[in-house]
Amino acid sequence: MTSAMHRPQDGTLLELRDVRTHFSTARGIVRAVDGVSFTLERGKALGIVGESGSGKTILARSIMGLLPKRGTIRQGEVLYAGDDLAKLDLKGMRKFWGQEMSMIFQDPMTSLNPLMKIGNQIGEPLRVHLGMDKENARATALKLLQDVKIPEPEKRLDQYPHELSGGMRQRAMIAIALACGPTLLFADEPTTALDVTVQAQILDLIQEQRRDRNMSVILVTHDLGVVAGHTDEIAVMYAGTLAEKATTAELFANMKHPYTEALLRSIPKLDQPSHTRLMAIGGRPPDLITPPTGCRFAPRCPYATEKCRTEIPVLESISAEHSFACWNPVGSSHWQSKQDELASNAGLASAGGQA
Amino acid sequence: MTDIVLDTPSKPAKPSPLTRLIGRVPPIRKWKWGFVLSVAYLVVLTFFAVFANVLPFIRRYNELPKGAAARKLASYRGKPSGSYWFGNDKLGRDTFARSVYAAQKTLTIGLASIVAALVIGGLLGMLAGYYRGWYDRVLSVIFDVLLAFPAIVLALIVVGRFFQSGRLNLGLFQMDKRFFGVIVVLTLLSVAPLARIVRAQTLALSQREYVLAARGLGASSWRILIREILPNLLPAMFSVAFTGLAVLLVAEGGLAFLGFSVQLPFPTWGFMINEARPDIVKGGGWAVFFPCILLFLTVLAFNVIGDRVARRFDIREATL
Repeated sequence: MTSAMHRPQDGTLLELRDVRTHFSTARGIVRAVDGVSFTLERGKALGIVGESGSGKTILARSIMGLLPKRGTIRQGEVLYAGDDLAKLDLKGMRKFWGQEMSMIFQDPMTSLNPLMKIGNQIGEPLRVHLGMDKENARATALKLLQDVKIPEPEKRLDQYPHELSGGMRQRAMIAIALACGPTLLFADEPTTALDVTVQAQILDLIQEQRRDRNMSVILVTHDLGVVAGHTDEIAVMYAGTLAEKATTAELFANMKHPYTEALLRSIPKLDQPSHTRLMAIGGRPPDLITPPTGCRFAPRCPYATEKCRTEIPVLESISAEHSFACWNPVGSSHWQSKQDELASNAGLASAGGQA
Repeated sequence: MTDIVLDTPSKPAKPSPLTRLIGRVPPIRKWKWGFVLSVAYLVVLTFFAVFANVLPFIRRYNELPKGAAARKLASYRGKPSGSYWFGNDKLGRDTFARSVYAAQKTLTIGLASIVAALVIGGLLGMLAGYYRGWYDRVLSVIFDVLLAFPAIVLALIVVGRFFQSGRLNLGLFQMDKRFFGVIVVLTLLSVAPLARIVRAQTLALSQREYVLAARGLGASSWRILIREILPNLLPAMFSVAFTGLAVLLVAEGGLAFLGFSVQLPFPTWGFMINEARPDIVKGGGWAVFFPCILLFLTVLAFNVIGDRVARRFDIREATL
């Protein structure tokens, strides 16, 4: 815990500069993450949002260096408190893993060792990294289980994962990730495998631990509802690139990228009449081996122009807290004219349908 | 905020170490009799095998009958009788004593080979499955060659060339060279299949998220192999070991039948079967029958137990 004392309380913790992660496969090179740059302040929570295959998990694992060495091509800089993690080898990374950064995984059913007692699983990193003895590690494990609010924590220490419910397992997983007091916590879809009531509890717990420990959190999810209440900033990813990045309030109030707009529109709302057709985004994410030449969202974008199809938009800042990559952002004149056109088409369609 | 607790408060009694090892013993009506009988049979057999050199009625395995008994051999039929439970062979030796004494030799050979194969094959398979790359490719080729290599030729080379006769002096250990040679052959034969199974399991296990999680917590590869992967491999390794042991006992019988196993005066089941084989036509079938029965029962018992172990651990895996 001494390291927490010496930690600066604010300032930039993580800076990504043009991070690229490609995989060479039999079919060609998959550009899973293709030029992502952002910064993350200490103690802040960043949400990375995108659909399946947008590269959000790969981005998180690239930062942490948890990708298989074979067939992975990495470029760019990952500056963590001044150190470039992208240059470190396995041995160098091991100093950061667990103590500086750790990760909570999607499925608590598979991310715990089925043959090791919960207490030992929490105690293991404590003994390895902090050199605790057996009793000390056990006492700390108990304290951690209390922190993550598992009922009957003493009993859980000697239980195996299969004796715990899904929610309890995810809490145990969080306790393991928190064990060595990391500065940066990755949560890779931490609630996807849980039911809705438990989801909120787990997210609140992560939020609470972040405040208590002044950690930074990177929350990877496909669910905008999850990030809305639990992050300071949101980065929207599409096909391996950042589409838009803004503070949470700014993004929801003033979204600029048509993809963000489409994502928000596809969330069913309670005030809609029942049996309203869900607004899905047409088409599917592009093939990352041969991505579209211009804007990657252009083939699915209702506002796409010729320019969108040929020129790659760069990430531009409109304010300190908001940047996006789009030629015809939400609110632009082209967007407005398309909107009017779509609205009149919709009106015609419904009129025709009634006739 | 808290999860709803459905189970009752923790039980006061802590399970004893024995209970933790074998699990709760179910009531008799739920016993799997095949399994219970197999264990009972093996316990009795192991008891005789361990104390074969001490028990008086087994120590006589190599004694030839004298006096009146010897004269009776003229009308030799080798039938079981009060003094010779399993009958006797053409030299008048007690088939029961020889069969049980052979159990000692056969079981030692089988166990030593399977343990050696588990250690070597397990280690190589784990490393191949975990590190992959060129290491895996080289090992896989070696395993393929070993699997394709004719067992008889291997036995011929190892036993016939390197461990023909004499005694092996390994400091504290003194061993018949032939005996050691048979263990080497059987180990070599079982390393490849075991290593392959372990490699495949390791490949699957190292893709599990808890292995990634352990790495993300800063665990070294060695620690991951020992703490995360090995314990999860053990059930599969044990169930394979039991069935493998059964196969090895038969293989030893085959080697002995061909004359590549332990030499006189030590009997093994295969050796005894081979020895008495020409006498079947002369009415000496008893000396073949009993070693066959013992071999059969032992192989069956190991198979039943191996099956049971596999099923027990598969169920645990399925509930996770």
